[in-house]
Amino acid sequence: MSIISIASPDSSTMLASRSLARRVFDKAVASPGFRAGAAIFIVLALATALYPELSGIDPVKMDIKARLLPPLFEGAKWSWAHPLGTDQLGRDMLVRSLVGLRYSFLIGVASVIVMLFVGCTLGTIAGYFGGRIDAVIMRLTDAQLSIPMIILAIAVLGVSRPTIPAIVLVLGMSNWPVYARMMRSVVMTERQREFVRAAQIGGSTDLRIIVTLLLPLLLPSVLFTSVLDVARMMIFESTLGFLGLGVQPPTPTFGNIIADGRKYLLNAWWIATMPGLFLGLTLTSINLMGAALERARDTVHAGGE
Amino acid sequence: MALLELRNVTVALGRSDTAKVILEDVSLSLAPKEIVGVVGASASGKTVLSRTAVNWLDPPLVRRSGSVLFEGRDIYGMKETEMRGLRQRISYVGANPMGAMDPTLPVGAQIVEKMRAVMPDVSRRQAQERVIELLAAVRIPSASSRFHDYPSQFSGGMMQRALIVDALVTNPAVLVADNVTQPLDVTVAAQVIRLIKELTDQFNTAVLFISSSLPMVREASTRTLVIDRGRIVEEQATEALVARPSHPYTRELVSQTPKIWRGTETLPALPEDREVVLSLRDASQTYRVKKRSGLGGVNLVRAVRNVTFDVRRGDSFAIVGESGCGKSTLMRLLSRLELPSSGQILCEGKDIATLRGRDLLDFRARLQLVLQDPFGSLPPRTSIGRMLEEPLRTHGWRDREKLRARVLKVMGEVGLAAELYNELPLGLSAGQRQRVNVARALVLEPSILIMDETLSALDQAEQFKLLDLFQKLQQEYNLTYIFISHDLAMVRKVCNRVAVMYLGEVFELAGNERLFFDPGHPYTMALLSAMPTLEDKRYKPEDCLLEGEPPSPLSIPTGCSFKSRCPRAMEVCNGVQPVLTVRHEHDFAACHLVKAEIPLIEDSVEGASA
Amino acid sequence: MFTLNFLIRRLAQGVVIIFLVSFLIFTLLRVVPGDPVRLMAGGMAPEALIEKIAKDMGLRDPIIVQFGRYMGSVVRGDLGQSFVRPANGASTGGSSFNDSTRGERAEVLTLILEALPMTLQLAAMTLAISLVFSAIIGIAGGLYPGRWPDKVAFYISSIFISLPNFWLGIVLALLFSVKLGWLPAIGYNGFAYTILPAIVLAVEMSPVLIRTLVGSVSSQMTEAYVSVGRVRGLGRTRIIANHVLRNASVPLFNLLGIQFSSLLGGVIIVEYIFDYPGLGLLTINAVLQRDFPLIQGIAIVTSAIFVLINIVVDLVATSIDPRLEY
Repeated sequence: MSIISIASPDSSTMLASRSLARRVFDKAVASPGFRAGAAIFIVLALATALYPELSGIDPVKMDIKARLLPPLFEGAKWSWAHPLGTDQLGRDMLVRSLVGLRYSFLIGVASVIVMLFVGCTLGTIAGYFGGRIDAVIMRLTDAQLSIPMIILAIAVLGVSRPTIPAIVLVLGMSNWPVYARMMRSVVMTERQREFVRAAQIGGSTDLRIIVTLLLPLLLPSVLFTSVLDVARMMIFESTLGFLGLGVQPPTPTFGNIIADGRKYLLNAWWIATMPGLFLGLTLTSINLMGAALERARDTVHAGGE
Repeated sequence: MALLELRNVTVALGRSDTAKVILEDVSLSLAPKEIVGVVGASASGKTVLSRTAVNWLDPPLVRRSGSVLFEGRDIYGMKETEMRGLRQRISYVGANPMGAMDPTLPVGAQIVEKMRAVMPDVSRRQAQERVIELLAAVRIPSASSRFHDYPSQFSGGMMQRALIVDALVTNPAVLVADNVTQPLDVTVAAQVIRLIKELTDQFNTAVLFISSSLPMVREASTRTLVIDRGRIVEEQATEALVARPSHPYTRELVSQTPKIWRGTETLPALPEDREVVLSLRDASQTYRVKKRSGLGGVNLVRAVRNVTFDVRRGDSFAIVGESGCGKSTLMRLLSRLELPSSGQILCEGKDIATLRGRDLLDFRARLQLVLQDPFGSLPPRTSIGRMLEEPLRTHGWRDREKLRARVLKVMGEVGLAAELYNELPLGLSAGQRQRVNVARALVLEPSILIMDETLSALDQAEQFKLLDLFQKLQQEYNLTYIFISHDLAMVRKVCNRVAVMYLGEVFELAGNERLFFDPGHPYTMALLSAMPTLEDKRYKPEDCLLEGEPPSPLSIPTGCSFKSRCPRAMEVCNGVQPVLTVRHEHDFAACHLVKAEIPLIEDSVEGASA
Repeated sequence: MFTLNFLIRRLAQGVVIIFLVSFLIFTLLRVVPGDPVRLMAGGMAPEALIEKIAKDMGLRDPIIVQFGRYMGSVVRGDLGQSFVRPANGASTGGSSFNDSTRGERAEVLTLILEALPMTLQLAAMTLAISLVFSAIIGIAGGLYPGRWPDKVAFYISSIFISLPNFWLGIVLALLFSVKLGWLPAIGYNGFAYTILPAIVLAVEMSPVLIRTLVGSVSSQMTEAYVSVGRVRGLGRTRIIANHVLRNASVPLFNLLGIQFSSLLGGVIIVEYIFDYPGLGLLTINAVLQRDFPLIQGIAIVTSAIFVLINIVVDLVATSIDPRLEY
């Protein structure tokens, strides 16, 4: 430190008193990527929430007369009643896709919640207390990271019955190590901070420091990452469905629709491809938002704005 | 003819008319072989000035007008390639030695790379020889093996030397040194300045020496410019500038430079038989660090070694030393953030390691800590009132009205406006933040306050205000202070008793007057001689300035741990570790010279009474 | 010397990890409902017969005993025999279960060693494609943050990461194999059969690589040594080529170590879709047939590969950046 240093208006004192999380969010919202993603997402969300009921079409009702109708403007038999065509049993592809999207999204969100809970709890404990506990938890995450989660998931679901809670649990449990590691490393650095020391000197217990000081500070940035994981989990859910280990038919999910459609690939290509396009669009919208959030977080945390 | 000349340069932060102007109409010139100093506070535009001089203005910085001439040619009018060729003649050393090189390549290889980039006809072999030769010239020990070391294996001081080599390797005509001593400890900083002066002599290089410290600039330069808010306000020969500053800002600068030996009031004497409130008995702390090699082997880092001293009620006790001396570890031990690996720390007679539950909370209320970093020490998302209530809540306070009343009372005492109660700390200045820190420590009505470099992040004026506040609080509440600091000038002003630490040990323990006028340890004297002040040096740096840097705490030498750097080392220092020995009744020093009753300097007796 | 110590320590850690993995999979397979014997013996088999077979195979002992027995043979290099597959290759149907000669059943190790080279070939191809592609997009994006190469990288990675691999596999097979007839898709009959699956996997892998590269290159570009380098007289190209890329490659290597298991996850699906006779196809069939010894064997082998890859990655990373501790 120099002997003569006149107080400089340090950049960090000039910050508006908005919270970090708020600034990250505002910055992300301002980016075109996030806006595009959000627009697509809102349209899809509205369609998913409303169209199946409004159109009155039952996703599992078969109609042999209307089987294998092509989507709009394709061939001669297309109709406005079935914009995405119908499958081999005459079921409407659009409604089936939208209902599939509901399941997919809910399962994705639920499994992210499970993994956040497990991962953040274990990661915080490991990072805060260190030592033996840390070593044990980290070896556990290493072990789990070393087997592809899909092996774990299909091993469990293949042997037991794939119900929705089981799927959520399996997806959540097979992915927590990522969050455990992330949380551990940030907690480890944050707990060295002086305000933690100040709280210890003031007599606060470890639990109190974790719950009142560290978690409110660290969770938002972890949550930004978890947006991307919703998309990842939706992919895994559909993969499981594709292998026949997801939500069971007749309930439509992207996975089982595509698996079905694969058999008719040569004479009715739209059954397998259309739902995938739909899923891809949804995931792109979520990923655009998630990636924009993550980027905004990284720039804000790096001090640049 | 001037070698380097800035003519009416104006630099702004952006192109628009409303953009903030950083440098305004700055002119200066540098003759061959001359050392010119530029002194100014932080944010006065010093760094931008140094960058302007070497053609390194990155957006958003924009040169609005004026020119920079090197040997009469405008360096801003040149092509990129021509400028790169000129880097051979104009070189630069900055304030951040650790980030200046690629961390993944050996230092030597990077200096060779630079040399060959600007001087393509030098062979790799020649370049390597030249670099090793220069590394030795800047007194880097075993230069030819250090050549292959990575930046992370260099200490800050060593790295700064390596960068000086990097700057001088091409035999430049001009060296721009931007605050090079800022990150260094005082003794190392003094070495670096001496080095720059020697080298400019040897290589005929002119130096633009830019610093925020007037004493450092005085040490280095013959002519000095003062910069304030982007303008050059005064230019004089250095000695004349210090003796007869003409501009009000320069006068302020000179008067604010701390004084140690003259013009300081003597602190009121305190009776010696006051009650002991805090007492260390052979306290040591050893950390186990995993070895890089070996299977699960550990190295023992002895961060604090057998420290014994008493702090009495009403003391302002200072613990001083350079980085790595163990003062931070000692702070963690005193505040019971860690327990000592051996020895005891007694607070009012009770061993703090054995405290549990209620007793521990009582101890926490009695001894509080005020932290160093005004930004890191306040949780960013908690309102100030809430933050100050927190310690009270953990100590069982529940009544909202009482909590609020207590917090507001303390806020008033430390000079924080009551309106700040509901504010977040984000908008506060460093000074206000430190007041919040003090308030957070005071709400529990402690009797002992540990100040961990509390003032080091504040500017001089703010430091004075807080020191006054501390004095007032001390009288009002009969507080005992422990200042942990590297700033001897501050210690001289407020502390009645001082412990000097080196490599985890206390080398000297003495009253204020004794320590500054009659030090008992060669290390204390070296610290004092390296102090940046404008006074005539009481201790000549030539006599006592240290060579090299402290050894690693991983391998502490046997015998006296200071012997490798001590100008007065003797035969006995090799084998026998000196212990704290009484001199003059209440003062102690851990040096064999004390036992042998050999005075450190001839006039010590006279000095003590001066 | 450092390296040797490091190797010994990491291998020891690796053994612990592999042990944990085996235990995890072993218990998981046994606590979740679903009886493999029922599947092997067929739905028609009488309960008594199933009990007898299960007892003979030791499947009714406490899990810890079974696990001990299993690990005992694993350390001797014996991964056991498949429940389902005969030694001659084809999988036996559930109804033709016949317990007389267990020697006819295929060795798990042999099955794995037959499938592994195929998968390694696929993985190498995938790595080559995705590294080249990601390096071009990612480095360009990192050098010009906020400009168009960065945006291209952003959108490409966002879209690629949103394409489910099984769907992409189907679509690409339909397009390139069925409609255009450029590339073969189903089964394996020569090197060309690797290309389509590798492309699908590369699309799945590159978004993470691109994002990491963009991030690490752009953050290296803000490091002090880059701007100081210019003042020291180094050219921009030299700084980027010699220093920035060198530093930015460290996170990439670390990522490759972590990404290994998700690559393998993708391999399973892709091999299943393209009917590519590798480890993935073996895994999925093993799971669908509840072939416990085979699942366990695959888990052990893959986690061993994971451990080895991560040791190599760390060795490479430390040789680039000496600050990283072994």
